[in-house]
Parts: sequence; structure tokens; C-alpha cells
Amino acid sequence: MHDVTHAKQRRRDLILAAVFVALAACVPLFVKDVYVQNIMVLTLMYAGLSQSWNILGGYCGQISLGHALYFGLGAYVTAILLTKFDVLPWFGMIAGGLISALIALALGYPTFRLGGHYFAIATIVIAEIAYLLFLNWDWAGAALGIDIMVREDSWAKFQFTRSKLPYFYFALFFAAVAWLVTWWLENSKWGYWWRAVKDNPDAAESLGVVVFKSKMGAGAISAFLTAIGGAFYAMFVSYIDPESVMSFQFSLLISLPAVLGGIGTLWGPVLGAVVLIPVTELTRSFIGGSGRGVDLIVYGGLIVIVSLTRPDGLLGLFSRKRKKEAVR
Amino acid sequence: MTALLETRGVWQRFGGLVANSDVSISVGRGEIVGLIGPNGAGKSTLFNLIAGVRPPTQGTIWLDGEDITATPATERCRRGIGRTFQVVKSFETMTVIDNVIVGALVRSTEMRAARRKAFEVLEFCGLAARADIMASELIPSEKRRLEVARALATEPKLLLLDEVLTGLTPLEAQTGVELVRRVRETGVTVLMVEHVMEIVMPLVDRAIVLDLGKVLVEGKPTDVVRDPKVIAAYLGDRHAVGA
Repeated sequence: MHDVTHAKQRRRDLILAAVFVALAACVPLFVKDVYVQNIMVLTLMYAGLSQSWNILGGYCGQISLGHALYFGLGAYVTAILLTKFDVLPWFGMIAGGLISALIALALGYPTFRLGGHYFAIATIVIAEIAYLLFLNWDWAGAALGIDIMVREDSWAKFQFTRSKLPYFYFALFFAAVAWLVTWWLENSKWGYWWRAVKDNPDAAESLGVVVFKSKMGAGAISAFLTAIGGAFYAMFVSYIDPESVMSFQFSLLISLPAVLGGIGTLWGPVLGAVVLIPVTELTRSFIGGSGRGVDLIVYGGLIVIVSLTRPDGLLGLFSRKRKKEAVR
Repeated sequence: MTALLETRGVWQRFGGLVANSDVSISVGRGEIVGLIGPNGAGKSTLFNLIAGVRPPTQGTIWLDGEDITATPATERCRRGIGRTFQVVKSFETMTVIDNVIVGALVRSTEMRAARRKAFEVLEFCGLAARADIMASELIPSEKRRLEVARALATEPKLLLLDEVLTGLTPLEAQTGVELVRRVRETGVTVLMVEHVMEIVMPLVDRAIVLDLGKVLVEGKPTDVVRDPKVIAAYLGDRHAVGA
């Protein structure tokens, strides 16, 4: 009956994801080029980040253009704990996630009362303030940033000099976890509440949805996962400064794959990242040092094309097919 | 026995405008009550006060013997008030059944149970065949029924219907009337705001006529439609004198 077909659909998604992860895990066996591996790591990382952003921006409809804040916090907390207090990055990662979630709650308390574009504007401003604070905060390295000394290859310290593969597998793990969390939430009370809040808050309230609490929940989960990605990035590049982890550019890079692939969908962020990140990385390297910003022009161009031809995102191409199948 | 719903001396002012003045009505268990009146009579304002959109300027609202004047809309839903919106507010990016699941989740957070409940309600409302399409693809009369289905999924004691029969073809309206009757048979009390007298009058047990923010007349529909004050309110004084 009806609930059986729904359960089947969900199982199909899960199996598909497992197949993708398994295939992705095999890719490094064939691809030995370090530069290509680097692009794969970034693609997976942005897939996970955008998936995290999608929880708040896509499902709950609260468009944040300030996720660089949580990304940067994850990176900074991990780097500071490691360099100043000798705390292993694994704990730093969790700490960064928790701190980001708490800050998301504290910031959400006033900002989730704002409607529509005002919320988006507030997130930009807040992230920008945080960026300036870190730029001037001597203890946290200020504009010079924090250099994470790389000593020996170690899983405990999550540092690897000889190979990018450990980073690749962690990025894959991160993207898979972010996807799985979304998959699980999508069919929970929260998932339904979020989409109801996005579509029509008044109607949602009349059906017993606690709108404010829904937004706070989405904000905290989204910030936590984003910070995990930031913590990973800090270890991956082993040097961070405000410009490289907290600038506005990251807020865009985190949100665009979801927008491009299909906002508020399970597969949108993955699809968006797979298309977007390699394209921009390749343009950046082909154009070279003189073309700084060209990758962003490519971003802009892609977004314009997608919004003109496929307002639902690239995933719309697939769902058309699905619908035809259903008719048969 | 106390009434299911009661408003006691309710006032609502918007700046200098008085939308409801000293409105005291009650709705008994199992009744279908029609709230009618000409444009601008304050029907929708009263409706929204009962649904919990805003607290009244003055007066109290009681559900099942409990004061719910300060209770927000979300909590009123939990206490057993379901509502529809005059201008339909479907969750457009969700499927029809997902719309209804949102309502069902108030009573059960177990997803399978909520989904089953939602499907039952869709069958009850004659929308089961449309369960898997997007709410945005429904035709207007189906959207009205979806509003009712969503509210019913919250298992209300009191269902507030805001002009669900307005703007429908005669056939659609007749289906709607039957749906409201079946809803009552399941033990749900119905309070409906309506504009179209000839549709609503045969349906309701009791009619409350509002005019200029006050209760003008209340009683059996057959008596109410003959009342000179009601005719005057709808058609103007000249006609009332003739009657």
C-alpha cells in the first residue's frame, strides 16, 4: 500500500548512496594524480558542507549567507585547541561543532524572528563581524593566522604529508554522514516541520508546528555539521587565517552547490558540488594567478543559467524522468 | 454541561476601528454552527481570535471549560482546535499526503503511524487518488479539501472552517456540504464562517449572525433567514420594512 511504496523509495535512496560511496571509495585506486585527488577532496567537502547548509537553507527555508562563520569557527576551534592546548583534532572537531551549534542558537534567538530577506542580510552582517573580530584578535593569530605544525603522519593527530588519501576518505565520510543525517531527518517530525515552516509559517502554526523551535533546531544541526567541515579543512590545509576560512566567499561556496543542484532536496547538494567544484577548480588553475575571481564568474554564470532554465536546480532534470516512469 | 467553545465579552480593536464588540457566543459539542453576516461584519476577526492568531483586546475565550485566551495558535491545535484558511495556504512544495502528515504529527511522532493516519484522512476527504502529487498541482476545490484534511489530521474537537464552500461550483459545494456532515458524524464539532446563505443554511444546526462587529441574531437557520434585522443587515433597511 501507500506507506510501502514510500518506504521503498527511501530504501532506494539509501542503496543508491551506498553504491555511490563504494564507487567513490574505489576512485583513488585508479586516480593517482595528486592534483585531481585534491579536487576530489574539495568536492566531497563542499558536498558535505552544502548538505549541512541545506538543512537550514533548503528544508527550513532560512537562507543563510553567513555559514562561513560556522565553517571558520570549526577551523579555529580545532586549530587553537591543537596548537595551544595539545588537544587532538578529533576532540577539537567535536568542540568546534558544539560551540558553533551554541552560537547558532544564540544568534538564532534574535534573527529567526526576521522574515525573508532580512534574515539573509543579518547572517551576512554577523559573519562579517566575526571575520573582523578574528582579523584583529591577537590571541587567535589575528591576520597572521595559525600555522598547524605538521610533524609525522598520524591518524590520531589527523596529519598526513605523504598522501592525500586519508583526507579523501575522511571527506567522503563527512559527505556521507551529512547525507545520512539529512536522509534520516527528512522522514522525521523535524523534516516535515521544516518544510511546513518554509512553505507557510501561518499554516504550520495552525497545525501545531512550533515554528521558532523548528528554526532553532535546523540552525543548530546545520551549524554543527558545517563546523565539522571547517575543522577538517583546517587540518587539510594546515594553515588558517580569517581570509582563508571565514571570508564571505565561503558562505557562497557552501550555499551554491545546494542552490545549483536543487535546494531543499536530498541529492541536490551532492549533484551541485560534483558539477560546480571541479569546474571552478579547473578554471582557477587554467587561468592561473592573474585570473583571481574568474572561478566566481563561472559560479555566477552557472547560477544564471540554472535559474533561467531549471529554477528547481539540476535535480529537476532527473525528477522529470521519474515522473514519466511513475505514469507508466 | 459546559459548551465546547465559548467567547465571553470579546472585543477586538484595530486602532480606532472596532471589529468585534462584546461578542459572546457558545458552540455546543457535536453542533454545526454557522457564523454569517455581511462583508465587514467581523466574522473573520472573530474566527481568527478563536483560532489564536492574536489575543482579543478584551474578553476571554474558553475551550472545554478552560481559558485559552492567552494560548498561542500552536498550542490551541494541540488542545483540539483545527482550522482552515480562507485564502488556502497549502504547503506548495510538498506532496498532498506530506501536507496532511504535518497535521498528523501533532498526535503521533511515529512516522509510519502519521503516514497511515494521513492516508486515512485523505480517503475520508476523497483525495486519496491525489496523495502523491504536489499540492501546487491541485485544482482550487481540491485545495480547499486539502485544508480540511490537514486540519482533520490533527484530530480536532472543534473544526473551524473559513469559507470552505465559497467560490465552488454547485456540485463541488454539494460535495463539500456532505464532507462537513460526515465530519460531524465522527464526533467533531464544526464552526463555519460562510458567505453563501443558501448553501450554509440547510447544513447548520444553528446560525449566528454578526453585523458591525456585534451579534445581531442567533438561532435556527429557518428563523434567522426570516428575521427582519438579518434581512436589513444584508439588503438594507428598505427591504426589511417591506418584509
